[in-house]
Formats: sequence, C-alpha cells, structure tokens
Amino acid sequence: MKRTLPLLLILALVVVFAYLFATKGVISAPTELRPLGKFYLEKCMIGGDFAAGSPEAVTSILWDYRGLDTLFETSVFFLAIIGSLMLFSFKVKEVVREQELTLVVRSVTKIAAVMILAVSASIALHGHLTPGGGFQGGSALAVAPLLVLVAFSRKILETSGLSLKRAIVIRSLGLMGILLTALLPLTLGGYIMQNLPIFPKYIADQLTSGSLIFYNVFEYLAVGAGFTAVFLLISIPEKNFVEEEK
Amino acid sequence: MSTVLFALGSAMILIGGLCDLFGAIGLLRFPNFFLRLHAATVGTIGGAVVPLFGVSLVALGSDFLGSMRYPIAGASAITAIIVLLVAPAGSHILAYAAHKAKLIKWKKVCDHLEAKKP
Repeated sequence: MKRTLPLLLILALVVVFAYLFATKGVISAPTELRPLGKFYLEKCMIGGDFAAGSPEAVTSILWDYRGLDTLFETSVFFLAIIGSLMLFSFKVKEVVREQELTLVVRSVTKIAAVMILAVSASIALHGHLTPGGGFQGGSALAVAPLLVLVAFSRKILETSGLSLKRAIVIRSLGLMGILLTALLPLTLGGYIMQNLPIFPKYIADQLTSGSLIFYNVFEYLAVGAGFTAVFLLISIPEKNFVEEEK
Repeated sequence: MSTVLFALGSAMILIGGLCDLFGAIGLLRFPNFFLRLHAATVGTIGGAVVPLFGVSLVALGSDFLGSMRYPIAGASAITAIIVLLVAPAGSHILAYAAHKAKLIKWKKVCDHLEAKKP
C-alpha cells in the first residue's frame, strides 16, 4: 500500500503529459527540410558523382565516406573468426546420434528458418535503401543454421550441404569479393574504394548505389558464413574432441 | 463497410489490451513457473496477435490512408501470423526444458510427460 500513492502519481503525470503532448502540438512533423537533412541528402543522394548515390546516409558513410575504416573493421572481425577457428583445430570424433527437440519445435523451425533466410536477404539487399546492410543481414542469416542446429542436430546441417568446410569457403569468397570490389577502381584509373563513376548508379533502372550493393552482398555472405562456422564449432560437445598425436 | 471494419478492429485491439493486463497480473501473482508461463502466453497470443489482426482490420477500413493501407494491413497481418506460429513453440520448449530439468516444485494433478518416460 505504501507504493500505491507514488505509482498513482506517476500514472497521472504520464496521462497528463501524454494529453498535453498530443493536443498542444508539442511534437509535430516538420514541414520543411532542415539544413542538416539537406546536407546529408546532397552528400548522399543528389550530389552527382561526388555523392554516394544512396538515400541511406548510414550505408553511404559506412561503405563510401569512411569505407577504409569499415574495410579494416571487417578484417578485425574476420581475424577474430580465424582466431576461433584456430582455437578449435582439434580432430573431432564422429558423432553417432544426437538428440533432437520435440516435434512442435522441429516443425516450427522448418518454417521459421526459411522465413529468416528471406528476411536476412531482404535486409542485406535493401541495405542501400533502408536501414540495415551486410553485417546486419549476415547476422540474421546466421540465426537460421543456429536454429536448425539446436532443433535438429549438427548431422542434419552437414548432410544437407552446410558443413564447416563449406561455411569457411563461403566466408572466404565473401571476403575476397569485398577486397576485389575495393581494389577494382585502382585498375580502372580511380582511387581505392572509389564508388560512383566506376560503378553504375542504376542497374536495369534499379537504384543499386554503385559499389554499395556489392559490398553489402559480399559482407552478407561473409558474415553469415563466418558466424555459421563458429556456431558449428561451438556445437561440438567437448567429449568429442580427440587430442592429436604428437 | 469501413465502419464495420473499424469497429471490429478496435474491439480486437481492446481485447488485446485486456489480455495484456490479465497476463501482467498473472505473471505477478501466479505461484509457479508453468502457471506464469501460461500468463505470459496469454500476453503474447491475446495481447499481441489479436490486436495486430485488429490493426490490420482498422487499416483496411481507413479510407484516408489511400493505397498505403494495404502495406500496413499486410505487414501487421504477417507479423501476427509469425508471432502466432513462433511464440507457442518458444513457450512449449521452455515448459519442456523446465519439466525435463526437474527444477520446479509444484503440486501435480496430472503429468502425462512423466508417465511416458520409462
């Protein structure tokens, strides 16, 4: 009962403030473009070849204006994954049988994994139009194998084509793609990680924002496969590690 | 037509609010994990799926939205279906794990899962 009075007071304050905000027009959408918004729009979308060619300011800054920074950030992430692959370089005993979860969870996982794949691809491919991008899409992509890993077993993931080796190969291909996209302008007489005049802004009348979509797609593959590799490794029970002979 | 849709949708949103309230009260007052899980499920299905369907109905009935009402209605209906699909699986596996770990002390009336095991 001692807490009732303060709680009621807080409730009353919240209601009063909500009413005031809603009716007195304290919060309202601006009708004209602010100088900061104009600046970003010019530098990101409508500034000709000196802009990034994308309406999404965050992706423009990440992969164009401070692209080198993101490139090295990505390499730090991949060094971390290489480190964890090194840590797990044991020989693994063949797992005979693993326990699966109940029928309810398995059925829902089958449906949800496909939907997660679709959503992650959408996040990554629309990274130059809407919030999101390669890293976020890849992180969402890695959830699908993780779910399958938990609900079914490691074995099913490997027999259906996603083995550890393949995940590492996809990761390396993605990383190679990022590097090639970064180095390609050098061979065409541009600067490293140059975006617009080298890469086309529109492909088949669709806004692809030059190199941004390539970076996003490759980063998507690399991050998704990298996380999947780590998940595959940490799902091995400790007792299945065999010590290597000296 | 739009009035009917608006009334139906608003009623569903109201039901959702009530379910959320009851779920919150149950989460605070129920004695053990399984009953609290039941209250949480009332909060997710009754308090999230039903009002989302309501939102999609209200959006369909709002003529002032123009053609923008179809994306709103579709997105909320899809979200509702996904929550309807995924939330029960989550609470199911929580209850299953808690039962399997034998962590919860409760007065049993009927336990088919225990009887099934050797």
